[in-house]
Amino acid sequence: MATDTEKNEKAMTMQLINKYIPDNPLPEGFRLPLSNDSEAEEFFINIGPQHPSTHGVLRVVVRLDGETVVEVVPHLGYIHRGIEKMAENQTYIQNLHLSDRLDYLSAFFNNLCLCMTVEQALEIGIPERGEYIRIMISELQRLQSHLLWWGVLGMDMGGFTTFFYAFRERELINDIFEELCGARLTVNYFRPGGSSADVPDTFIPRVKNLISALRKVLDEYQTLLNRNIIFLERTKGIGILPPETALSYGCTGAVLRGSGVNYDVRRHDPYSIYEQFDFDIPLGKTGDCYDRCQVRMEEMEQSLRILEQAVTRFPSGPYRSQPKPTYKLPKGSYYSQVETPRGLLGVYIVSEGETKPYRLKYRSPNFSNLSVLNEMVVGHKLADLITILSTLDLVIPDIDR
Amino acid sequence: MGVNNGASPLVRQAGELIEQIPGGIKLVDAVELLVAWGRANSVWPLVYATSCCAIEMMSTIAARHDLARFGYEVMRASVRQADMIILAGTISEKMAKNLVTLYEQMPAPKYIIAMGSCAISGGPFYYDSYSVIKGGDRLVPVDVYIPGCPPRPEALLQGVMQLQEKIKKEGRRNPWRVGSTLQVPFENLFAKAQEEWAAQEKQRDEELREAREQFQRENPKSTASKPTRQKKETFPTPTRKKQIAKGISNWTLLQTIQEKFPSVEVYGHPSISPKAAAELGSEYILDLVVPPEQYRAFAEYVKNEASLGLDLLLQLTCVDWQEYFDVVVQLLSSRDGHKLFFRSRVAKNAENGDGEIETISDLYRGAEWHEREVYDLFGVQFRNHPDLRRIFLENDFPGYPLRKDYDDPTRVVKRPY
Repeated sequence: MATDTEKNEKAMTMQLINKYIPDNPLPEGFRLPLSNDSEAEEFFINIGPQHPSTHGVLRVVVRLDGETVVEVVPHLGYIHRGIEKMAENQTYIQNLHLSDRLDYLSAFFNNLCLCMTVEQALEIGIPERGEYIRIMISELQRLQSHLLWWGVLGMDMGGFTTFFYAFRERELINDIFEELCGARLTVNYFRPGGSSADVPDTFIPRVKNLISALRKVLDEYQTLLNRNIIFLERTKGIGILPPETALSYGCTGAVLRGSGVNYDVRRHDPYSIYEQFDFDIPLGKTGDCYDRCQVRMEEMEQSLRILEQAVTRFPSGPYRSQPKPTYKLPKGSYYSQVETPRGLLGVYIVSEGETKPYRLKYRSPNFSNLSVLNEMVVGHKLADLITILSTLDLVIPDIDR
Repeated sequence: MGVNNGASPLVRQAGELIEQIPGGIKLVDAVELLVAWGRANSVWPLVYATSCCAIEMMSTIAARHDLARFGYEVMRASVRQADMIILAGTISEKMAKNLVTLYEQMPAPKYIIAMGSCAISGGPFYYDSYSVIKGGDRLVPVDVYIPGCPPRPEALLQGVMQLQEKIKKEGRRNPWRVGSTLQVPFENLFAKAQEEWAAQEKQRDEELREAREQFQRENPKSTASKPTRQKKETFPTPTRKKQIAKGISNWTLLQTIQEKFPSVEVYGHPSISPKAAAELGSEYILDLVVPPEQYRAFAEYVKNEASLGLDLLLQLTCVDWQEYFDVVVQLLSSRDGHKLFFRSRVAKNAENGDGEIETISDLYRGAEWHEREVYDLFGVQFRNHPDLRRIFLENDFPGYPLRKDYDDPTRVVKRPY
């Protein structure tokens, strides 16, 4: 309890503040007015850009009342590299390598989406084997990304073990990528009309190995973290996102599906040959952190299902269609979208009939997913903010571009 | 710099006294060797990760590669407890201040490893980028450079070992002991290394020449085989399988909208009928031109009209057409899967080229950040926006970089090809 003198002192300080700083005395971006309640103990803390739990260089300024979050303002741009400006001076093939560096955990998807836009504009077809390669690689990448997310999720909640477990399996997938195109992360693999190289002979056996290995460990993961009582306490009922809010902010991916909205590009706007595969879209019920986690865990199972079907049906034949030296898009604008591990990635190209785009815009899933943060954390404790950020599964360079 | 290796003046004086005793210098050397050995094998890195290289750094820490073998596993979240920063990723202008602060906060002796092309020179973002610092060494002194984009974990391990070598060799010429460094004659290590490399190259050439001559002596009749040219592969050109249109057809969409807004037209196809719009193909996304004065009313209509079902804002973006801007809004129906794009022309202000249009951020909440992005990069103002600030760049950044006439020679290195 604050004594009378303390209350008086506080009131006098407020008077002074109001006298000398007549405008909004709050830090940039805050909107709620200063509290009139003399009992309130409001203060601001800064998290980031150099902070291990912000997954990169995100900066978040939090307004706290005691330990409870009142308002939160994310600050972006600490890794803004101007990729969209650079894109205007490079050909479409040159742009592929820049798209890798947007969301480096789903580099294949970025490549794929850009290639799909070019294919759409120039009516380039893909042989069946090429389509299978695309789908299998995409699902491998989804597994790889979700594994990393799971490892880091545990780390954000204070357990380091999950990190080592997840990276153990992730390296198996990285081995496949390495054999495929020589790179582990920034792959630059897909091209308009297929991919830059055929898969090696060892590809199918390796994927088979991986499927059996992952089937075993996914169960283990559930026991290790997702059925752990501390994990349940820290995620159930935390960061509830109602479906209307999620839609209004343009959230996609597991964040949207965790809130119970059934939208997955692979199913509802199928690209490549996803309509030939049998898989489920996992949905959450309440839209809390736990639901988002379970949706991602379930998505890994579904990715394995797709991979199993693809492995048995993997066709032989040409892996790509005839490449061209330059791709000149006819005048107009083109848009295509894919479902990345983080949500809906769109590529919007405005072409003036040149070999280089007039304007290239990436619709980043993380950008929209992060914008909803304030709605989710208000009323929770500061420690829950980290959990919520972690279940959003952000990649900051994709937000800043 | 004023860094004195952490030793108190008394210890340093004692060290200097011992040095003068015959043979004493060896004792000092031995102690310094021991200190350097210990230092090299227990460097604590800071968790400093900006982009792609961070993931490879994490891989290096994880089980397969295991950075702990080198005594580097104690990743510190606070720079005040760390000895080394691995610059893992691009350093942007906004981050530069923070990096310098971090470096200054770190207790000496301190080391920096530049991991990957971006930290070395800006890498893929060297040309045309207006916000990337072209190399970490423009801000802080770098000890080891690891090329790669991103470098493999093995390369990072190699870099770590190089740093260990460097620390171990520091010994008496420890750069952190500024006083003594100033006394020794300046040594141009790079020139020395270059000389060594040149000598090695020369030796190798010599050996190769001898081997070649020996081979020719032994096999006088042999001729070099001609290099075979790789066979040019031919690929098929299959027809493209078109995506099936989902949800409400373009025909119905355009018909419904034109009943309400007769002045709305299809972009690129003026005065087209709804029937003709439906024949533009299953992949064609309806792209409408809305007069700027109706922009807000149109957005309100498509948001509130439940039969259209356009509930998800994909993005709001802008295209700079030199004379005017086009603000493009892209909507999606999460229920049915159809999409609708619409655009409004924003006239450019004659003096500074800014434009102005109503906000739609109260209708689609997600538009708030998209509008801030458009404001930041194009300078289009949004009336009644609740919080119109720059989102990516610093508040005092000159100009709007995504405009076609943006030119800032102090920041941008133009691509020469």
